[in-house]
Amino acid sequence: MTENKTYYIKRSSKNHRVTRPSQTGFSSPATHYTEPRIDLNEALVSNPSATFYVRVADNSFVNYGIKENDVLIIDKSLTPNNNQLILAIKDDAFSILKIENKQNETLQVWGVITYIIKAVK
Amino acid sequence: MIALVDCNSFYASCEQVFRPDLQNKPVVVLSNNDGCIIAANKEAKALAHIPMFQPVFKIKDLLSRNNVVCFSSNYTLYSDLSKRVMDTLRDFSPLVEEYSIDESFVDLSHYKIEELEIIAHKIKDTVYKNTGIPVGVGIAKTKSLSKIANKYAKKITKNNNVYVVDTESKRQFLLNECKIKDIWGIGKKHAIRIENAGKKNALEFANMPVDWVRKEITVIGERLWRELNNMPCMKINTNIQVKKGIGTAKSFGFKLSNYGLIEEACSYYVSEVADLLRQQQSAATHIEVFLQTNYHSNTDKQYSNKIVLTLNEPTSSTIALTQKALIGLKKIYKEGYRYKKVGVNLLGLVPENEIQMSLFNSHKKIESKSITNVIDLLNSKYGKNKVKLATVGNREKEWALIKEHRSPRYTTQWNELMTISNKKTPNLK
Repeated sequence: MTENKTYYIKRSSKNHRVTRPSQTGFSSPATHYTEPRIDLNEALVSNPSATFYVRVADNSFVNYGIKENDVLIIDKSLTPNNNQLILAIKDDAFSILKIENKQNETLQVWGVITYIIKAVK
Repeated sequence: MIALVDCNSFYASCEQVFRPDLQNKPVVVLSNNDGCIIAANKEAKALAHIPMFQPVFKIKDLLSRNNVVCFSSNYTLYSDLSKRVMDTLRDFSPLVEEYSIDESFVDLSHYKIEELEIIAHKIKDTVYKNTGIPVGVGIAKTKSLSKIANKYAKKITKNNNVYVVDTESKRQFLLNECKIKDIWGIGKKHAIRIENAGKKNALEFANMPVDWVRKEITVIGERLWRELNNMPCMKINTNIQVKKGIGTAKSFGFKLSNYGLIEEACSYYVSEVADLLRQQQSAATHIEVFLQTNYHSNTDKQYSNKIVLTLNEPTSSTIALTQKALIGLKKIYKEGYRYKKVGVNLLGLVPENEIQMSLFNSHKKIESKSITNVIDLLNSKYGKNKVKLATVGNREKEWALIKEHRSPRYTTQWNELMTISNKKTPNLK
């Protein structure tokens, strides 16, 4: 009979085993070089308690490169500078505006747009 | 010096942050089940002819005729904005005590007295700019005085929501303006006793002999007396207090007599409180279950009962707690009544790492612990209650709270973000 039979050696039941560290061999050479993975919050959000996300419902603001379904990251703590995009309140509604050099009207600024998240499909 | 920073009509203000169309308009927030008004902004309070704290169904027409905008309570949103306000305050001081959802004490002892007026305005302006929430700031030497200063800051328009007690004459003036019953922490009985002694305001109280105060209104009174006299007796407490009991009880959206539905609601509430229990790393030794019919109803038969059960060993496992709760529910449930409310309380809480292991159950316990961990992990990743016990069921709509006018959870849910377009009031559904 040349039957290939495998015999498994049964492990002792868990309760009777002495626990010991399972690591053998050399420790990984990368041990001292591991770092946390890149986190988008770190790059895109500098003041978390003042940061809000807003979704754009349609193509009304396409002249600023903002399209339907984009998500704006807005930092309310910032004071807008020239050429920055802001979310403003105009006639009791939200609007997106660009801060120009000669700004005559006083603006009600809700927050400064810091990033635009777009899906590429 | 200590600041008390207090958000102005907090719940209503939270709603207004995301609704520019509601600026300077009356806004109210309704309780769970939209039963009554629990918060009203300045504009709504100004409508003196509306009895604000009546059941909503009685004044619904009156509210809509006056263009008062009603919101169901959105505690997810309020607690996130509260956290943002508190975090902003931490930019000014390492010692911030979160006293309630809309109030904090802030230690300002690292600033010079002369700077405090400016700092107070800076705190107010920064919180408003960063979060959209308007706050009032009262600053004084002690907690009790800062509380009174905060009230006064809001009471007088020209104070502009800021009042700093930085001189002795200002302290005397402030206390002179404060009635006995408006002193923070003074009970009705004690207030009457002080008034009967011929004292009309907080200053006269603060000038009484301390022996009288200690004798007549105990050590609590003496502590207050000292605080009003510029002697701090209460520290800023930055540790979040571990709760000694955790409970929840909410009315059903509808009256229920079906045992199955009540069981599902009960299981759901157990999962909610068990979650809180694990967050504070405690375990419960007892669980209380109670059941009530609607005692406001004149036509329904009335019944209510409760039961306290002891757990085999202290636990925070949803599975073990649900099993026990449902045993209790079965015992107190009686057929033939229309129930309005079910609730659970976890009692006898002990720190999770100090649980006495029972000799025979420990194996099972470890198993249940790892199941709970996996469920928590999945729910934190995919959303609350994505994984739940089968006893919770799927019929939430048949018992859940009525929240007809709840606003989106703008800051915690990707699919409920604020939306903008060129059309007006895009957030109106």
